[in-house]
Amino acid sequence: MQMNIQLPDLIASLNSGFRYLPTTFILSFVPLSAGLVFGTLIALVQVFKVPVLRKIFAVFVSIYSGIPSVVALLIYNLLYITQFNKIAAFFGSSLTVREVSPIYVALFTFSLSSIVLMSETIRGALLSIDKGQFEAGYSVGLTTRQILRRIVLPQVVPVILPPLTNHVVGSIKNTSIVMTIGVMDVLNGAIVPAETTYRFLEGYIASALIYWAVNALLEFLLRRLETHTGKFRNTECTDSATEYKND
Amino acid sequence: MIDFFSWQRLADNFPKLLIYLPVTFGIVGIAAAAGILLGMLIAVVCIRRVPVLNQICTVFISFMRGTPMLVQMLVAYYGIPLLLELLFGVDSRRWPKIVFVYITFALNQGAFLSELLRSSILAIPQGQTEAGLSVGLTPFRTFRRIVMPQAARIALPGLSLDVVGLFQETSLVYMVGVIDVLGRAQTIAAQTGHVLECYILIAVFFVVISLLLRSAFSGFEEKLTYGSREPAAEDADEHSAA
Amino acid sequence: MIEVKNIKKSFGKLRVLHDVSIKVGTGDVVVILGPSGSGKTTLLRCINFLEKADAGSLTIGEKTVDFAKCSKKDILEIRRRTAFVFQNYNLFNNKTALENVMEGLVAARGMPRNIARERAEHELEKVGLTDRLDYYPCRLSGGQQQRVGIARAVALDPDVILFDEPTSALDPELVGETLEVIKKVAKEGRTMIVVTHEMSFAEDVADNVVFMDGGYIVEEGTPQKIFTHPEQERTKQFLRRILPQSEYTI
Repeated sequence: MQMNIQLPDLIASLNSGFRYLPTTFILSFVPLSAGLVFGTLIALVQVFKVPVLRKIFAVFVSIYSGIPSVVALLIYNLLYITQFNKIAAFFGSSLTVREVSPIYVALFTFSLSSIVLMSETIRGALLSIDKGQFEAGYSVGLTTRQILRRIVLPQVVPVILPPLTNHVVGSIKNTSIVMTIGVMDVLNGAIVPAETTYRFLEGYIASALIYWAVNALLEFLLRRLETHTGKFRNTECTDSATEYKND
Repeated sequence: MIDFFSWQRLADNFPKLLIYLPVTFGIVGIAAAAGILLGMLIAVVCIRRVPVLNQICTVFISFMRGTPMLVQMLVAYYGIPLLLELLFGVDSRRWPKIVFVYITFALNQGAFLSELLRSSILAIPQGQTEAGLSVGLTPFRTFRRIVMPQAARIALPGLSLDVVGLFQETSLVYMVGVIDVLGRAQTIAAQTGHVLECYILIAVFFVVISLLLRSAFSGFEEKLTYGSREPAAEDADEHSAA
Repeated sequence: MIEVKNIKKSFGKLRVLHDVSIKVGTGDVVVILGPSGSGKTTLLRCINFLEKADAGSLTIGEKTVDFAKCSKKDILEIRRRTAFVFQNYNLFNNKTALENVMEGLVAARGMPRNIARERAEHELEKVGLTDRLDYYPCRLSGGQQQRVGIARAVALDPDVILFDEPTSALDPELVGETLEVIKKVAKEGRTMIVVTHEMSFAEDVADNVVFMDGGYIVEEGTPQKIFTHPEQERTKQFLRRILPQSEYTI
């Protein structure tokens, strides 16, 4: 058990971890994109009450969101490792499990849980739209598509950004569990030097610093975006209360 | 394929895993309790902008929210003994691993819950505090008897979401060597070579717990808000009759 | 000329409109009165298809539509000939006052932006909001929002403007101003159907007053006739509750 912190080791770990940042980004942004696309589809199905699908999705979402990422990852990885060779042979490929990176298992796992989580967020945002906006749109003669594009969507975006920010940050943090299946991400990368020097604490602190910096930056940018797209909203009103009174 | 999954093994492993669930409940319980206390303290510090503490809290919250739980546990496991040795001369190397997990989870929850509690408290109109003070209550009693109960009701939905998430996060603790359901599954894997049934059982455990928790919380929320929603509906009727 | 013939509407098992017919001449102002649940708002909302009536027909100008058998194209066309002023304004939250008034012109009628802008500025000037053109709804008071709503409706140059309790959601002090704006619109010669509780407005401006209850038209006539010599018992009951005693004689 080490009893001090050495700066050189910390820096070595920072460098080592940093090199694997692209992997972490891939592991979080690919699932996020999948989540946005398919999550929106599922949310639309539920909001527009498509007959059979709606129930199926509702049940699936409420059950799947109860499974922790780690457990899902372990299960999919197990299936992957044991079944890959058989399935590859079935398709006439000579690939073996050893040749293909485990990152695909991680991408699959994270994408699935991202889709499930996003669908709930988007569903909530769609339901929060005031029906009156639709009615006003219809009454001036707009079509549904026009209303969605010109009136509703611009109002949904700033509503969705805070939970979306949480999803993005959470997604990045979640990628650290790929340590179990041997994918080289920031966490695994940061402790590479420690394998020879046994300075694990510096490694873990280095990875913490990298995650912290990345997430702080992302939160800052997304908050800016939220302010920009939400210019028409209440946050401005509380400042200009005096103007309001001069009616 | 036949030897891949077996119902027999599923049944055998069920009791073996079940007895480790209390470990998970223990972590959640301690984390939630300590988290609420700590979160309350931090929330008050932030709301009142206590000079130095406020900045420390902001950094603390940013760190806890910006770093993965797994990393936090690893840093705690390796770093807390160092800290305790340096600051208090306490030798914590022989402490059971789960203590470090308790500490990490408590700190983590404290940070997240402080945000939830802070926004709930701020949502209570200033008028409530003013009314409490004007009937002669001390600031502390006003807070405890008037503001906090109302804030608690507002915080409830976020709290239920948090607890459900907490359960899911406990699945990480086996990675630092704590024996919970997942840790036991790994030892079964080492002993017997068959672990799929264990993982599936664990997945089912978590799904069931999560569903039970969510329905319990939403039932609780309904009971709590039932009283305060009714008058609003009556007011609306009076307006439309005019 | 607007004519609704034999309109019927139910919500599930509840019959809200029982075969109602109403005729509005061009340039007329018709005020519909009645207690809550009388079907007056539903009638209005059926005219521009915010609710879909079960049966009956609607004629606006030379276009006639059967409620039971109308196509999406029919609905769109009717909506482009009518305008609606909502009880709770329903301004587009993500657009400024000016953009709100322009929206229907530019996106639904394909008007060039500069022409739409001129017309929008003109209408907003008529309702007294020239200095609020670039304000978002959240920064406007209720009265101001409703005036934008009225400008939005008038700018569309519709065959009829439908008003659904336009002042019910306003603070009492603002009701008068808003009614003045609506009266100005009436004096311009617009065809209007107004659901309201404001009796003085009805007396000043209405050409015809219609009293509805329980999904039927109970009585209709000029304001003078209805307010001073109502014939039906239900009309008398309603007026007794609403008007001060001295206003009418049995």
